[in-house]
Amino acid sequence: MFSKKPNGAMSKKIQYMIAAGAVLAIIGGVLYQGLQTTVYYQTPGEVIAAPENFRNKTIRIGALVQPDSVTWNPDAVRLSFRVTEDSQASIPVVYDGVKPDMFKEGQGVVVEGRLGADGVFVAQEVLVKHSEEYRVEEAKKGQRDKTYQSLMK
Amino acid sequence: MIKWLGWFSLAGFSGLGIWIFGYTPIESSQGFSQKIMYLHVPVIMMAYLASFLVVLGSVGYLWKREMMFDRLAKSSAELAMLFFAMALVSGSIWGKPTWGTYWTWDARLTTTLLAFLIYVGYVTLRSFAHPGEKQARLAAVIGIIAFLDIPLIHVSVQWWRTLHQPTTLLKTVGGEAKPAADPVLLYPLFASFLLMAVFFAYLLLLRLRVEAGEEELAEQLARQ
Repeated sequence: MFSKKPNGAMSKKIQYMIAAGAVLAIIGGVLYQGLQTTVYYQTPGEVIAAPENFRNKTIRIGALVQPDSVTWNPDAVRLSFRVTEDSQASIPVVYDGVKPDMFKEGQGVVVEGRLGADGVFVAQEVLVKHSEEYRVEEAKKGQRDKTYQSLMK
Repeated sequence: MIKWLGWFSLAGFSGLGIWIFGYTPIESSQGFSQKIMYLHVPVIMMAYLASFLVVLGSVGYLWKREMMFDRLAKSSAELAMLFFAMALVSGSIWGKPTWGTYWTWDARLTTTLLAFLIYVGYVTLRSFAHPGEKQARLAAVIGIIAFLDIPLIHVSVQWWRTLHQPTTLLKTVGGEAKPAADPVLLYPLFASFLLMAVFFAYLLLLRLRVEAGEEELAEQLARQ
């Protein structure tokens, strides 16, 4: 593509390309680093290991809802549960809000809020992190259940 | 011929709707809201395709200097903008019932929004510049750089912690391809891919024809 150009113009073009490449590499590096350091969520293990790093600021914790830890108080509209990544260490969470549709024990969640001095995480938001699996219950596989039936049930 | 692609996709999507809502079983964990997948996933695939066609047109133009390639890049960029917008909106609608939010700043969502903004920028910049060789040349450079975000969107769910789940279709277990979904849920998705591709071809060919017509008109006006 440079064949028609004199040599001087060609080396100029190559210089521009090197400069553009360098700029792109820097942008890419910054983006990668930026996204790397501003981690979307912490794990319970990271928070338990160094709770002082996470106090007095809004953070997210991504983990599983520990089985048998969920209490839902409909009168106070208060959801409390524990989050864990390995069923060993866990963090208690309280959330003054409605239980999300897909929230259940063992479910992946991302909770956003602040870690209190008492070690209880006060969530402002509870998000459900579902898996990439899409399955149909064995019992329903044969039957072609209609959408309206699922809505009417 | 172009018109028939439009009619075909309209009829096809009507049939697909009956298949999805009438004969595809309800997914176990998400229930009804999983059906948005049949729009969301093909739409984002077409956004990737459009971004790739922008690169193809841009490289082709820089190489051959023929306006045909520039028209491909310009039209595809508009479609990339449209399909990224559709992916963001459909994803948002899907996010509310499943995640519990319309939006969150995780890496997948942020890089997708970035792609949308890049193509908005591309289309806006083109509208500011005078038509012709210079606009085409500058647009080609931006069109190529814009594509860098696309692989980033794809790997974002592997590189970073995100709320968005990792890939279902291209999932591998021990180096072996293992799509993480029951086939009964996947067949309508494949049909939707095909139909969305036909619909995409319809929009692209229509847009290319309009663009060629506009250029011809501008030439004739210039001659008078």
